[in-house]
Amino acid sequence: MAELENPFEENLLNRNRAEPCTVVIFGATGDLTNRKLIPALYNVAACGDLPPQFKVVGFARRDKSDEVFRAELEEGNRRNSRQGHDEELWSSFAQNIHYHRSEFEDPAGYVRLKQLLDRFDRERGAPANRLFYLASAPEAFVPILDMLRASGLNHAPQGRWARVVCEKPFGKDLITARALNDTVAATFAERDTYRIDHYLGKETAQNIMVLRFANALFEPNWNSRYIDNVQITCAENLGMEGGRGGYYDTAGALRDMVQNHLFQLLSLVAMEPPTDLSADSVRDEKVKVIRALRPLIGPEAVAANVVRAQYAAGSVDGVARVGYRQEDRVNPQSMTEAYVALRLFIDTWRWQGVPFYIRVGKRLPKKATEISVHFKKPPQVPFATRRLLGNSSENTLVIRIQPDEGIAMRILCKQPGQALNMQQVKMDFRYSSSFGTASPEAYERLLLDAMAGDATLFARCDEVENAWRFIDEIQRAWHYSDKPPPMCEYPAGSWGPREADELLRQDGHQWRLL
Amino acid sequence: MSNAALPNGEALGLEVPLGSIERSLQQIWADDQAKTRSSLINFAIYSEEAGDLGRHCADLEAITAQHSCRALLVVNLAAETAPARAWISAHCRPYQEGKVVCSEQISFVLQGADAAQVQNVVFGHLDSDLPLMVWWQGSLKRCFEERLYSRIHTLIVDSSRWSDPAAQLQRLLGAWRSADFDVRDLSWTRSHLLRTALAVAFQDGKALEHLHELQHIEIVHGQGHRSAALLLAAWLGWRLKGGKPQPAAAAPQDGDASLQWISPQGGTVTVAIKAAAPAADQAAHSCALLSLELSGGGMSVRIWRQSCSSFIHIRVCAGEHQHEEVMPADSVSDAGLVGAQLERAGGSTHFREVLALLPHWLEATGSH
Repeated sequence: MAELENPFEENLLNRNRAEPCTVVIFGATGDLTNRKLIPALYNVAACGDLPPQFKVVGFARRDKSDEVFRAELEEGNRRNSRQGHDEELWSSFAQNIHYHRSEFEDPAGYVRLKQLLDRFDRERGAPANRLFYLASAPEAFVPILDMLRASGLNHAPQGRWARVVCEKPFGKDLITARALNDTVAATFAERDTYRIDHYLGKETAQNIMVLRFANALFEPNWNSRYIDNVQITCAENLGMEGGRGGYYDTAGALRDMVQNHLFQLLSLVAMEPPTDLSADSVRDEKVKVIRALRPLIGPEAVAANVVRAQYAAGSVDGVARVGYRQEDRVNPQSMTEAYVALRLFIDTWRWQGVPFYIRVGKRLPKKATEISVHFKKPPQVPFATRRLLGNSSENTLVIRIQPDEGIAMRILCKQPGQALNMQQVKMDFRYSSSFGTASPEAYERLLLDAMAGDATLFARCDEVENAWRFIDEIQRAWHYSDKPPPMCEYPAGSWGPREADELLRQDGHQWRLL
Repeated sequence: MSNAALPNGEALGLEVPLGSIERSLQQIWADDQAKTRSSLINFAIYSEEAGDLGRHCADLEAITAQHSCRALLVVNLAAETAPARAWISAHCRPYQEGKVVCSEQISFVLQGADAAQVQNVVFGHLDSDLPLMVWWQGSLKRCFEERLYSRIHTLIVDSSRWSDPAAQLQRLLGAWRSADFDVRDLSWTRSHLLRTALAVAFQDGKALEHLHELQHIEIVHGQGHRSAALLLAAWLGWRLKGGKPQPAAAAPQDGDASLQWISPQGGTVTVAIKAAAPAADQAAHSCALLSLELSGGGMSVRIWRQSCSSFIHIRVCAGEHQHEEVMPADSVSDAGLVGAQLERAGGSTHFREVLALLPHWLEATGSH
């Protein structure tokens, strides 16, 4: 029978509409559910974007009732909801939240989950779509996927869908990522798999494509002929507060941030224009960038292009801070990097010879994520005898991802006066000052997209594997070579090690001052 | 113009000569480093009524709190020609680190100005390169001329405030055909989330299966919001592929309307448009649309707004199957509706279709 068309659907909002579904959250008693997922779903509801008969099932090990679970989530929502907490809306929203206690590896728990979902379907009068959200510890991903497959929950009733959303980290190297991809692929089709990277849900990350491809001003200049270098910075002023040292010391900056978030930003900045905005068209172009990264093979190549470092004792915002190895839950002999800087080249026609510098680190002076595109200097013929301001004479386009999302452009102007002196000035667009309304949280957008079947802002398996392939070579040089590149050091509260500055100085560049 | 009608200088800001508006505005920003000027559009309110200055200023303040713009308030009084007067002010909101972000407002009071003069005043004080959105208050009367509307990017009207809807509609449609501007009607915006709620209700497969059995539609609107109900009815007729609306046999009560159309299946669908009883909850009357019900066969979908609360309730019944949902409702304030329009950027493609159908509905309800 042909699918009936809802005549009242209107392309009112230029945004995705979620389809009726049940979201099953594995690891539902964790911080992510309480702090991000439920407030995101609540805010989707507050915007009127939740589908009818929507249900949430929290799946976790601890024993608790629906009422207790709802009360905990309500408390979390009061603290974390972007649009505040409305009793009437929460009451309607919360009555559709349920709790399901089970071990992740217990087949009986999945039988009971299936019975619960079937009961919801009977109450609805029709089978619903199912979205399984893996918000548990990463080591539970494979057992959960195995159990979903064994119980048949991975198969949706006819005309419906079953999808899975995987939180990061998606593997810890190429081997584990492939193994996980194999398990996912045995359970869900790739089109039903949504690997979340919350950076892609951020307004400015999405705006990169608009900036590049909707403005005739930039794209003709977006190549090696006009661009001198590109810098991507992700600075954190935090260290290992809140017990995060335990996880971080097993991951490090390269695996925790570069492989996923920063490579996603790099792809968006460097990719070719997609033929359309479908998920696969965009992701095809993004993965080409990762594939075209010039590999760094062997300790010499890694030492020449990558700087790793840990912070020593110092101070941030006037508060004394211990060094990385003295942090809670960090191995005192740790060789895990809290900072990494990379010089990358993308071997394509467009980007030949243009260095892409990436730096990410903990305990830097401030929290900031941004991309800066540094244009080549003009010939300066008419101004050859005029004193310019060193590197600051170049035009720079800055895309601020967080905080204070926006776009700034640095240009040169003539200083007022009789003399022909030039001065750099900044044109600055800030989302928060131009638009009074707050941007949706990244999770709101991403959850809505997953429910609507739009995978554009999610990583595809080949993106993930190609990124790991590149990262693994660096890890190999660091941890498994006879002459590993040194672990550098920087005082907490500084902008990183001197070696990272030297990395750019070799090319006649310097890190942008944030 | 009597002294009593003169605008309160405090509310409108600093009175400045027309020729030095830009210079005076620059002075505001030069004098205060903590203030940042921000502007994404030119937003103008045009009115030919003197009494609403305070309301317009409040509306502009509410709009600029969410949408940075250069705000223009143009009050053009039908009086003997007199020199135009101008005031400048700024609407500011906290930003960060002790800074504030401000939108400029320029207010003009004109007397006896024609379209050319209005055009000169408005177009002479736009923030260059930014689109112009004009919120036209009341009916499209003397200054609504081609030379003015041809420069507008988006025109906002409120058909619930039109004194002669059929004539106004013809005037608007004529202008729209001849010039390339976007039109938004607040009466249409008032049903935005109710229409969304209806779409949500029929995401339910059971309800959708029974939709072809539809026999009756009832729309209840607040006092003064018949146009919102008519636009909604016209949209429903169009989306359900109903034939041309005809007056129904049953005579409605005063102010109400009863219509019918023939469905594609050959059945008759009746549409009752009712004003809420005056004795009803007073709060309800600040709402344009209080309820919408679609019923027939084994299906009933009711969408309602209790006491004009911030939420819409949806009840879907299809045979034994039933459920209820809650969704956010449209703003009841005009400024809130305009803000919602600004957030949505592109207009509704459906509105253009519905506006073209509206004359049939006005005729069928005897409103022509």
